[in-house]
Amino acid sequence: MTTHDVMALLQGTWFAADLGPRALGHLAALGRFEEIPAGTVVVREGLRCDSLGVVISGRIALRLAVPGSPDRTILTVHDGDVFGWSAVLPRPVATSTGVAVVPSSAITFDGPALRAGLAADCELASALFERLLVSVSRRLIATRVQLLDLYQAGAAPW
Amino acid sequence: MTGATCFLPRADLDRLFAALRADDRTILGPAVSDGAVIYDEVASPAELPTGWESDTEPGSYRLRETGSSRAFDYVLPVTSWKRYTHPAFVPLTRARRDGSQVEVEAVLDPPPRLAFVGVRACEIAALDIQERAMRAGPIGDADHAGRRDAALVVAMECAAATSTCFCTSMGTGPEVRQGADLIASELDEGFVIRSGSATGAAMLAGLDLEPADPAQVERAAAQVAAVRTRIGDPVAVEGLPERLRAALDSPRWEQVAERCLACANCTLVCPTCFCTSVGVASDLDGQEATTERHWDSCFSLGFGRVAGDANFRPKVKDRYRQWLTHKFSTWFDQFGSSGCVGCGRCVAWCPVGIDVREELAAIAPVEGPRGPIPWPPAPDAGHAPAALTVVAPARHVTTSVVAVTQETADTATLRLATSDAALLAARPGQFVMVELPAFAAPPISISGIRPDGLDLTIRSAGPATAAIVALGPGAQVALRGPLGRGWPLESAAGRDVVIVAGGVGLAPLRPVIEAVLADRARYGAVRLYLGARTPGDRLFAAEVAALAGRSDLEVAEIVDRAGPEWLGQVGIVTHLFDHATWNGDRVTAFVCGPERMMQATAAALTGRGVDPAAIWLTLERNMACGVGTCGHCQLGPFFVCRDGPVFSIAELGTAFGREGL
Ligand SMILES: Cc1cc2nc3c(=O)[nH]c(=O)nc-3n(C[C@H](O)[C@H](O)[C@H](O)COP(=O)(O)OP(=O)(O)OC[C@H]3O[C@@H](n4cnc5c(N)ncnc54)[C@H](O)[C@@H]3O)c2cc1C
Ligand code: SF4
Ligand code: SF4
Ligand code: FES
Repeated sequence: MTTHDVMALLQGTWFAADLGPRALGHLAALGRFEEIPAGTVVVREGLRCDSLGVVISGRIALRLAVPGSPDRTILTVHDGDVFGWSAVLPRPVATSTGVAVVPSSAITFDGPALRAGLAADCELASALFERLLVSVSRRLIATRVQLLDLYQAGAAPW
Repeated sequence: MTGATCFLPRADLDRLFAALRADDRTILGPAVSDGAVIYDEVASPAELPTGWESDTEPGSYRLRETGSSRAFDYVLPVTSWKRYTHPAFVPLTRARRDGSQVEVEAVLDPPPRLAFVGVRACEIAALDIQERAMRAGPIGDADHAGRRDAALVVAMECAAATSTCFCTSMGTGPEVRQGADLIASELDEGFVIRSGSATGAAMLAGLDLEPADPAQVERAAAQVAAVRTRIGDPVAVEGLPERLRAALDSPRWEQVAERCLACANCTLVCPTCFCTSVGVASDLDGQEATTERHWDSCFSLGFGRVAGDANFRPKVKDRYRQWLTHKFSTWFDQFGSSGCVGCGRCVAWCPVGIDVREELAAIAPVEGPRGPIPWPPAPDAGHAPAALTVVAPARHVTTSVVAVTQETADTATLRLATSDAALLAARPGQFVMVELPAFAAPPISISGIRPDGLDLTIRSAGPATAAIVALGPGAQVALRGPLGRGWPLESAAGRDVVIVAGGVGLAPLRPVIEAVLADRARYGAVRLYLGARTPGDRLFAAEVAALAGRSDLEVAEIVDRAGPEWLGQVGIVTHLFDHATWNGDRVTAFVCGPERMMQATAAALTGRGVDPAAIWLTLERNMACGVGTCGHCQLGPFFVCRDGPVFSIAELGTAFGREGL
């Protein structure tokens, strides 16, 4: 798959749709298209997170280990959403386990290469961090809403 | 109807009493009891409080003996006439359960024929105001209407005022201009009296009195004019409803709440407060039960409580704000007048002396802002009824359970058979009060409308709902309804439809889905977004799976949390569409679920460009009557039962989601 193809795929997602052409070109050059068969673990909670992914198709479940019971899915991510966002942090440790629950695909970015690319390209960095923040804040809001346990008796009227 | 003004000598007052008794009426009037004047049955003029005056101040009431020959110098009794038009206890239903058979019938005792003697101008206004509230419909309170119609009013213009009176500001007194059958003024030697209705005129003619001397008429007029001067104009009412609406966030609410004991004295003595709750009594095995309406107050902690111990007005400041803003602001939206007549009872009988006049001046000062107002000024929910409803007793229709589907661990759908035409004509979004003997009737949305009956989908959330979901086929249950305003499906014709449901919130939306699919060509794209707490909490799972297989609508489901076995989406319901590409201006949205979920959904929809006037949701509130007469379900100017439960975001303005309202 050429950089041009990766660019086209990225541009089709909400995540990268309105990136400027130069930043988009640079980002695409750092990314790689991957098919992800169902059941594949893309990141593992507590371990080093080597790559950031932007989902192109399918569904990745983000799960937390709950001692004494099965893992709990806290969020699923879909086209345009990211997984492995900790890959851009100086200490890249995954905060949940990502599992493809259906056959999926993504553009993935090698963590160290991406961080070096962002350090060298301020325009790309500011655009990418803004989108990552949107994505992370959306998750934060979801987590807070889930914490309120809206549908549970007590919080939910009916 | 005002005839000539006559003179009734004091010694002849018992002739008036005799005429009232001859008209088969029990006479009620002022009498001294336990150091206060109250209204009670008075057999003769000798029982009137002759020679007593009252002094009231914030938090204080004193009777003083003057030795005067006058009987009506006490200004106002503690209690008001609502004791008789809107009694503290009124039986509502009698129910029987015989095996699985259930029968509920409305109890409506014939109203007593009463004569109210000594009614003040402010009290006539109060009788009127309360009657408007009780007849505002759609169904109204038959007991209240019957009692009010059967009462004869003998007014007595005030010859004295106390420091707590402010009828002059409220425009209700002290002069009596209308609303009474007989209108009298007391002089030392007797009464100047005229008629105010045909009944009063006939009674006066029967007394065969001499015309009053013009000098007497003049003295009576001067006397009431002096009362007006004495009271002055203590409350600035111009613009008060708007000023109060703009002051919902005043820090003063918190300050007054520190003093307020939430004892509800003010609402109990207030002649216009009408709020009630329903009490249930039954024999030990629940076979025979009665329900009774009793006075309650927006100051009670439980007044805004809903299932699961949620409470819409948990704090005293919320409840004081409800009281004051209802009386002086939202009453105008609801009934076209103020809810206060300026009698001052709430000031005198507040144990800590909170003075409503002082609070109004501090919270909504004359020079204070009049906007922005929290809800649109003229909601198209049909407030301020122009005509009073003719009222009939409530109808309780017995229906039979034909099938029960267990939807989730705590929720079941009851299929009920009925041939009742009104129930079968129910519209999507309407609800019924479900009556099972020995339980307070809960409001339940209609989740299916069929040619031979209705479906109700009920979560077991407390005693009544638990008993209802436990019913099996063959059991009976009584319904009152259909009630409320449903989903405005017509407004979605020719537009795209987005339906967002959370949890049991899918129940009231199910008839919408059925109606839209039954007339599919009438609508553009149809999208259904369903949220639930866990995969096990999804309602109508088989029906939803069948819908997902159709090509003429989009269905997406998401759950809040799930185990590894769930391969569907996990997250909050707004994740289903916050990155969607559809165009918001073509969308009419119907939303139901827990209030916070609806807030998040409404924000996400407006964020996508959907017009707030095209986002409809159905609200949950505590409900006892379902028809706008018990006061429980109020939200700002709205009665959720009568004006809703379906509202648009535009109608609700910032009343939606505002804490403590
Ligand atoms: C318009 C409307 C439609 C509703 N539709 C449905 C539905 O389709 N399915 C469903 O499962 N639930 C529905 N509810 C909620 C349902 O009415 C409550 O769960 C039910 O009243 C709880 O009563 P309970 O006695 O079982 O529980 P408790 O929590 O013990 O109720 C305590 C008391 O609160 C009083 N009360 C009055 N109104 C309410 C209220 N709204 N919620 C809770 N308590 C109230 C009742 O008189 C009751 O005696 C609806 C509520 C409203 C306002
Ligand atoms: S609010 Fe107070 S002053 Fe006004 S009518 Fe009620 S009791 Fe009287
Ligand atoms: S809600 Fe209104 S009518 Fe009811 S008790 Fe409160 S102030 Fe009175
Ligand atoms: S006023 Fe009684 S439920 Fe609305």
